[in-house]
Amino acid sequence: MSSEESDTGWNYSAKGTTGQKVIVAILLIFPMLIFGITPLYNKDKPTLLGLPFFYWFETIWLVVSAVFYVIAALMLNRMEGGDSQ
Amino acid sequence: MNNYIILSVFVALFLVFVALGFGSSRFRRGDMSDLGEWALAGRKLGGYLAWFLVGADLYTAYTFIAIPELVYEKGAVYFYAVPYVGMTFGIAMITMPRLWRMAKGKNYVTAIDMVQDKFNSKTLAILLAFTGIVAELPYIALQIYGMQAVLTVMIGHLTTTDANIVTEIALIVSFIVLAAFTFTSGLRGATITAVMKDAIIFASVIVIIVVVPMRIGGFAVAFTDAKTLATGTSTLAGLYLNGFISLTIMSALALYLYPHAINGVFSTNSTKRLRLSTALLPIYGVGLALLALFGILIYAVPSALGDVAKYGAVTVVPSLIYAEFPDWFVGFAFLGIFIGGLVPASIMAISQANLLTRNVVKVARPNMNSKTEARLSKWFSVMFKFIALAFIFAISATYSLELQLVGGIIILQTLPAIFIGMYTKRLNKYAVGVGWAAGMITGVYMILDANFFIAHLPSLQTTFFKFATPFSFIYIGLIALLVNLLIAIVGSLVMGGTKEASVKTTKA
Repeated sequence: MSSEESDTGWNYSAKGTTGQKVIVAILLIFPMLIFGITPLYNKDKPTLLGLPFFYWFETIWLVVSAVFYVIAALMLNRMEGGDSQ
Repeated sequence: MNNYIILSVFVALFLVFVALGFGSSRFRRGDMSDLGEWALAGRKLGGYLAWFLVGADLYTAYTFIAIPELVYEKGAVYFYAVPYVGMTFGIAMITMPRLWRMAKGKNYVTAIDMVQDKFNSKTLAILLAFTGIVAELPYIALQIYGMQAVLTVMIGHLTTTDANIVTEIALIVSFIVLAAFTFTSGLRGATITAVMKDAIIFASVIVIIVVVPMRIGGFAVAFTDAKTLATGTSTLAGLYLNGFISLTIMSALALYLYPHAINGVFSTNSTKRLRLSTALLPIYGVGLALLALFGILIYAVPSALGDVAKYGAVTVVPSLIYAEFPDWFVGFAFLGIFIGGLVPASIMAISQANLLTRNVVKVARPNMNSKTEARLSKWFSVMFKFIALAFIFAISATYSLELQLVGGIIILQTLPAIFIGMYTKRLNKYAVGVGWAAGMITGVYMILDANFFIAHLPSLQTTFFKFATPFSFIYIGLIALLVNLLIAIVGSLVMGGTKEASVKTTKA
């Protein structure tokens, strides 16, 4: 493979140690997994501000997911190297 | 209420919107006769704007109109939209930076450009391009339903005699305006107006979600007033768990297969910004969750329920706003919802036009230059807007959300070629093609079977298949995708990968 081809991204693979890759994978998969296991949050109590658990948990989990994703993004961006933007 | 104040605020803000739309062609100016400039804003969007643009695909009539409508009518299962949004950006973080990199090197405008190179098959590319174009149509139609819902409430309170005609004329006029500024400003117009739209929406949603529960005495009151909804009120009822999980996962997989979402991805200026803005997008979903809750809140507001009875469940959010707020705020929020349908419709039509130009017309006329491509795409985008407008006069849907869910079933059939094709050369193009066909046939047949075969007056009512217990309420998209994947994978194992699939065969 010529360097020109790898520049096009067809053969790109992330740099970084196996440990870093495992952490990133967990950061990305864990929030999705919780959302996917609906029986975990398909309950009424405890309520928050009058909202059943089912509704408020999912809403708050959105924010938690964003935190997980942002950490993963920052790690991946650092692993990618290059300019800081 | 003074309905003329509502109308004046609405019209004044709409004029600001139009001015922004036309003026934005000068933003980070580029040669608008070039397709990459017109359709991808020159691939120059930084993190914030990309966030708004991709967010614009999320805060659409789907959010303001379709989801609240069904939470109101049917209950908990339609809160699936919240985990869907949480999940879809995780999937995007894994897949999209890679697709962006593949696209950047080769100046791809659509994901199908990649498929065409990867499988070295123009036929497969054309099939998938049409799949994308068709899948966007009901999605655009949903946007128009949303705009119509706002106009219905606003105009319905002004005049009772000619309300329908006035609404239709207003809708057509707005579409002509939209087509004109999409034509001149392309994706820049959509992005800049998306910022205005989301600023209005954010402000409205926060005000509403603070004020209304306080006024009615808390969410608990609304949940009590809502009594028993078909799919569950405070939690999911019985087997609707199937519906919830299948809708969540399939919608999460589908979003970034839609041409308009990929269009947004390609317009960003680096993988790092793309990654970071994608990671933050679940925050947008909080607004979606709050809007979905309006479907429950409205049960505690009797005057809003009166409007919903008169104008239909599709007006849950506008009716609630009309009932609870001062005139100027109603006009402000209504405009937010209205352009919340217009802006996504513009982005979707641009992406359809790109598919038709790049992956269909260009196959027949490979020597077309970028200027010709841009000119064609501009006209196609106008054409698709009016096809979608005609679509809503032709197809009757009981619930507007079902239109989007039909689009989902269709677009999911491009998953093997795009999401798996991105990573491997082992897929066989014939296997992928046959899998696509089988998935489409399964999906369409099941939609017909679940809705139209027995019904006297055809109307789209559901996208759950009528399996018996314990498989009730499974989203048809899941079944069609499984059929497709099975054939694509088994077929590829038997026949082997597409040998010609190599980057060397194409020139950038």
